[in-house]
Amino acid sequence: MVVLREGMCPGLDADLLRDLRAADIKTVEDVVSSDIEELAQRCSVSYKALFAIRRVLLAQHAAFPVSGADLYEELLSSTAIISTGSPSLDKLLDSGVYTGEITELSGGPGSGKSQVCFSVAVHVSLHLKQSVIFIDTTGGLSASRLLQMLRAETSDTEEQMEALQRIHVFRLFNIFSLLDCLFTLRSGRLQQACVGGGSVKAVIVDSVSAVISPLLGGKQNEGMSLMIQVAGVLKTMAKDFNVAALVTNHVTRSESGGVKPGLGVSWSHIPRTRVLLERREGGADSSLRSATLIKSSRQPCHIKAEFDLQSWSRSKEGSSGKRKLEETDS
Amino acid sequence: MQCSVSSLSLSPAVKSRLTAAGFSLLSELQGLPPSQICAEAGVSQQEALQVLQAVRGSPVRIAPPLTALQLLQEEQQQRSIISFCSQLDAALGGGLPVGKTTEICGAPGVGKTQLCLQLAVDVQVPVCFGGLGGQAVFVDTEGSFLLQRVQDFAGAAVKHCSLLVEDDEQRVAMTTFNVETILSNIFLVRCHDYVELLAELHLLPDFLSEHPRVRLLVIDSMAFPFRLHFDELSQRTRLLNGLAQQFIAMASSHHIAVVITNQMTTRLRGSQSQLVPALGESWGHAPTIRLLLQWAGTQRLAVIFKSPGHPGSTVEYQINSDGFRDAVQSEQPPSKRPRTHTIQSAAGQRDSNQSAPGPRHCS
Repeated sequence: MVVLREGMCPGLDADLLRDLRAADIKTVEDVVSSDIEELAQRCSVSYKALFAIRRVLLAQHAAFPVSGADLYEELLSSTAIISTGSPSLDKLLDSGVYTGEITELSGGPGSGKSQVCFSVAVHVSLHLKQSVIFIDTTGGLSASRLLQMLRAETSDTEEQMEALQRIHVFRLFNIFSLLDCLFTLRSGRLQQACVGGGSVKAVIVDSVSAVISPLLGGKQNEGMSLMIQVAGVLKTMAKDFNVAALVTNHVTRSESGGVKPGLGVSWSHIPRTRVLLERREGGADSSLRSATLIKSSRQPCHIKAEFDLQSWSRSKEGSSGKRKLEETDS
Repeated sequence: MQCSVSSLSLSPAVKSRLTAAGFSLLSELQGLPPSQICAEAGVSQQEALQVLQAVRGSPVRIAPPLTALQLLQEEQQQRSIISFCSQLDAALGGGLPVGKTTEICGAPGVGKTQLCLQLAVDVQVPVCFGGLGGQAVFVDTEGSFLLQRVQDFAGAAVKHCSLLVEDDEQRVAMTTFNVETILSNIFLVRCHDYVELLAELHLLPDFLSEHPRVRLLVIDSMAFPFRLHFDELSQRTRLLNGLAQQFIAMASSHHIAVVITNQMTTRLRGSQSQLVPALGESWGHAPTIRLLLQWAGTQRLAVIFKSPGHPGSTVEYQINSDGFRDAVQSEQPPSKRPRTHTIQSAAGQRDSNQSAPGPRHCS
């Protein structure tokens, strides 16, 4: 749906535009879908001129086919797989979070969604030396926790500070500012936003459900339309800039008592990969979490993995004193 | 893909008219005179101006991103509200964080309101004693605000600080830190049902702008108005989700700590029953930090159930006539602490000294 404007293509002048408007032809879509012959008679313009205009408009607005071989070449050269920092989660995700697609983490409160997001951010900024965009909609981003994770990876303070500088944080608390932000990033500022920090490799939205769910339900379907727009802009951004889009979602309880990701069926088609995180039964102190793959195009579904939130704050030498006794309760 | 008209923050009627007139992308509206929008989309002059304002405003509405390093500095500058229970403070990394939302869940009588009252007093501890020197807004929906207890807590806090006075600055601060000023710095709002609560929360941002010293907002409790009078559960969920975003926006823009209390409910799973926080599954995501208060025999336990910055842990506490304190049996933290922690460690020590003869539980 693009409105017809003067000078859009050769031959489309003010007079013709007025005639078309009188015939209720306002947008490119209207021109393309109407019967040219009939239209030429109604507006008393030459059939040839209208036909030429239609061809130009079609060429301007159509998509190009790309050969599979070219795509494969591109895929090999540009796709990156980002580790989550947890070997078992990486295995579940077929070695990590892929760029160019949306990956979703869902789970109840305290199931470790934000922690996985932090870990991905830390991994990209520290090991890959690339930038991360972190959109925080719940106020859950804790920079001191990021620092704690960085300290477990490296003891070099300068390296830690550089890594922190490569994580760019937006704090947005409603859907309109989220959309604004995503569209601004989409329209080319993604790369500009992070001057001198390498290219952006991951866009993390924690959590996408927090801003969408207040609008869903009820009698108006505006919420649904906004949700699909968020999905659309995230998808094109992931594909065009080759970044990994990682989003988190809450869970709802179905009638049978099981847990499933929130935001309904329409959203369930959006992420390419979906992971459900759950607390292990046991004490509230336990740092063990289980992850179940519920949608994937690479791995068999419903495989499970276990991971430990503590592992991200424990340094590789195992010298951290934060180990908990509760870890043995599995 | 460009920004589309339906993503603008306008009324749905205006947006549907624009779409019907063929405008679907923002770039098509840019630079048009309002009269043309009026004519083509059939909206009023005023609406056309609103449309143009929304179109023009969109790229600048977003603040530039912060880097995590700036965020870290911000976090380190913002002090936390100490709870006078050193173990809980240590588990939360120095107290209840400002700029975040914290939910306190627990069974009746376990001490949710007491902790809130304690925080309302603690937020006013002068800066030179390691406090925040702030004010508190207390939204009471249950009618459980007990002035007598606040007076007790305030008296204990004043007495405690007066024992710590070392230099002139602190001596000066003590002249204004007394029970009366503490009481006058707590703004109590009594809401009787959820409509009043919603209205109050819409007005609060203005109040907070007028009172920049407010550092704590307590909602005691969220569950009570929302567990009654609701026929349609989906409406309740929607309202609650909206409120959650409002709270966090308020917390981060006004630099206040938002504390919400919640009741417990029973969930049946097969033949087993389990005590879980009320207000449903999706509300659980609303607070940044979730604290569960529970009984274990005669002991009171506080569990950090969810926190992005701290590992889950369990600490013991007690409530005595002075307020919310460390449990007596617990081992005391080392007394050598950095300056900002003087109060917590001293509070811990004093408790152990005072209550040495035997445990004092007041229930």
